[in-house]
Amino acid sequence: MSGQNLDIAVTGLAAISAAGVGTEPLRAAVASGTSRLTPLPEEILGEAGHRWGKAEAFRAADFMPPLKARKFDRCSLLATVAAGMALKDAGIDLAGTDPSRIGIALGCGFGGIANSVELLSGYFSKGVEGLVPMLFPNTVPNAPASNASIEHGLKGPNVTQVQRFCSAEAAFQMACRFLEEGRADVMLTGGVDELNAPMVQGFHAMGQLRRHARGFGEGSGILVLERRRDALRRGAAVRGTVTGIRTLGFVPPDAATEGKARLVGTGTPDIVSLSGTGAELPWLREGLAGDRIEIGPLVGRSLAMGGLALVTLISLMPEGAAGLHLAASPEGPFFAIDIAGGSPG
Amino acid sequence: MTRPRIAITGIGIFCAAGSDVPSFTASLLEGRSAIGPVDLFDVSPFPARIGAQVRDFDPAGHFDRQTAAHLSRADQFALIAAREALEASGIRRHRDPFDIGVCVGAGAAGMIHGEQWLRERVEGKPGHPAQLRGLLPDRAATVLASHFGLHGYQGSITTACSSSATAIGWGADLVATGQLTACLCGGTDTLSLLTFTGFNSLRVVDPAPCSPFSLGRQGISLGEGAAFLVLEREDEARSRGARIFGFIRGYALAGEAYHMTAPEPSGSEAARVMGAALAAAGVSPEEVGWVNAHGTGTPLNDVVESKAMRQVFGERVRQVPLVSTKAMTGHCLGAAGAIEIAATAIALGAGTIPRTLNFRGADPECDLDYCHDGPRPSTAAVALSNSFAFGGNITCVVVSR
Repeated sequence: MSGQNLDIAVTGLAAISAAGVGTEPLRAAVASGTSRLTPLPEEILGEAGHRWGKAEAFRAADFMPPLKARKFDRCSLLATVAAGMALKDAGIDLAGTDPSRIGIALGCGFGGIANSVELLSGYFSKGVEGLVPMLFPNTVPNAPASNASIEHGLKGPNVTQVQRFCSAEAAFQMACRFLEEGRADVMLTGGVDELNAPMVQGFHAMGQLRRHARGFGEGSGILVLERRRDALRRGAAVRGTVTGIRTLGFVPPDAATEGKARLVGTGTPDIVSLSGTGAELPWLREGLAGDRIEIGPLVGRSLAMGGLALVTLISLMPEGAAGLHLAASPEGPFFAIDIAGGSPG
Repeated sequence: MTRPRIAITGIGIFCAAGSDVPSFTASLLEGRSAIGPVDLFDVSPFPARIGAQVRDFDPAGHFDRQTAAHLSRADQFALIAAREALEASGIRRHRDPFDIGVCVGAGAAGMIHGEQWLRERVEGKPGHPAQLRGLLPDRAATVLASHFGLHGYQGSITTACSSSATAIGWGADLVATGQLTACLCGGTDTLSLLTFTGFNSLRVVDPAPCSPFSLGRQGISLGEGAAFLVLEREDEARSRGARIFGFIRGYALAGEAYHMTAPEPSGSEAARVMGAALAAAGVSPEEVGWVNAHGTGTPLNDVVESKAMRQVFGERVRQVPLVSTKAMTGHCLGAAGAIEIAATAIALGAGTIPRTLNFRGADPECDLDYCHDGPRPSTAAVALSNSFAFGGNITCVVVSR
């Protein structure tokens, strides 16, 4: 896929992760290089020695009344709260904005699984009497984006992407495209994932805890995007500018050289963010100049962790710096996103 | 810059109503319902024991044993339908694989296998980890890309029942903007206990074959299947001499921001998206010959969709049939949009407006033309396909012949 001549501004950022609530704890974790992973409770797998990146500091009650929070699954809570934080950070006044012009494109790898497990476990244990109807609506992976749109009144384009370790990047690309095409004036994007015991047990059964030994994580990284000219017109602070997105699907070993040439581009980034399994692919990472950021070892890995990785990259980029975000999944896809720091003239 | 027209150069379908385009076309044009007993799992505890199940499916008829063992039922359906679409288009003989992408509207994916793992765990057994292999909705896109060697793009849209309509709209965007030369896009989904129990727990499944827009309807009939389209720019398709089955003229998508499961009751949000799709396509409401309804057969949804029709088409609304093909295919959830867009293109090409099956009597709240009386000849060149989903996600796609 060819590059694009984008001119999209990032005007709002929000993060909830194992590092804490907000972008600052995440920046601090990266700055100090300190892992925020904690021991996985022994009762989940019946054995010790594993770690995970649970967003322990996140309390829904800090953001909404408990009765309201009950209708959300954890994934939806993480997305809804982070979406609100990102909108506030961008200085967007929802009351003064046409809701049909604000949309959301979200990556969500594991959304819905917790409710699916609970619904089915009730059925397997007690039959029809064990079914809890209120669990079913949030079994769909689009529940986090949809719940966020319902809570904040966003009536623009609404999409969820699940695509391996590039779920957030795939959503990010859509959000940029929707802005370029005029489908919306403001797009929230990024990623959300949750961690729960049945998921970890499933990862364990499939050998994924060994494969991704540094631990799975959860959280939500949300970015607010606008066309740059619109952002400047309303006097918004531009945190970064998206100047290019390239992506590939399946790349067989004999096409790795061509794949990398098509993906990485010819720029010389000051900072490279590696997400998903990017750091594990020699053909992708070797020869890359610039400082490296990889948040997976610090807060855990998830399918939509690209949202948090992009938030981190943009938070850390000095004005005018050139950033390259690279994300990969073992069998594809692959994404490269060019970011210019701050608001260069 | 004028947006190029996006041509459909390949169609593939595999569902209960037809195992390929010819057999599906016959069911569509002759009005044959595929809804019948479900025996994929135990449905005896439920009042509704029917659905549009792909009966007597044997993977060995399509795949070698080793390949089949690594694929979920949804992946298998996807591969069968995608192969038909790719072969019809011939695209792989003409284009660089780096310029062809895959975009799948995904539903429950391999849930039918994953829930077996969970059942065994609940019963205190270890469960076989291979049953979890296809659980994530992105699996089909990855399988299609690697199986057919398509390097350009890999994406999975998960907007519940509008997933594959969104995937087709997004695929058209990727081609129209020059990011891909061609895109294989569509959707796949299978029956599973999760959706069967879930919709039953919400009491929106009809014990009898679903009867969209009819008096006494009680809800949906679930279905399963896959449908894929190959999309290309019209000029590039013509330059290589490809057969053109129709066009994706434009689409719109939005969230209603109203409720996770209930539609916005006035129909104004649905009407807004239908209108936006027509505007994106550069098509006026007067040009629309008929609408392929979301038309699930649930009491509320059918009324809201009829209300939206009145807002979009005004005084002309009774001249624009609102047809639901779900009484034929069942509600195929993640694959529904793709199956219905394919059905729309096929019917437009055949010059026929399909029939809404299983009429039980006139509902005063659904007082439009639903083609309950039978398929009819039509010279319509343009139709709209509606897909509404959990979360208030709506996608409307404009199709033309």
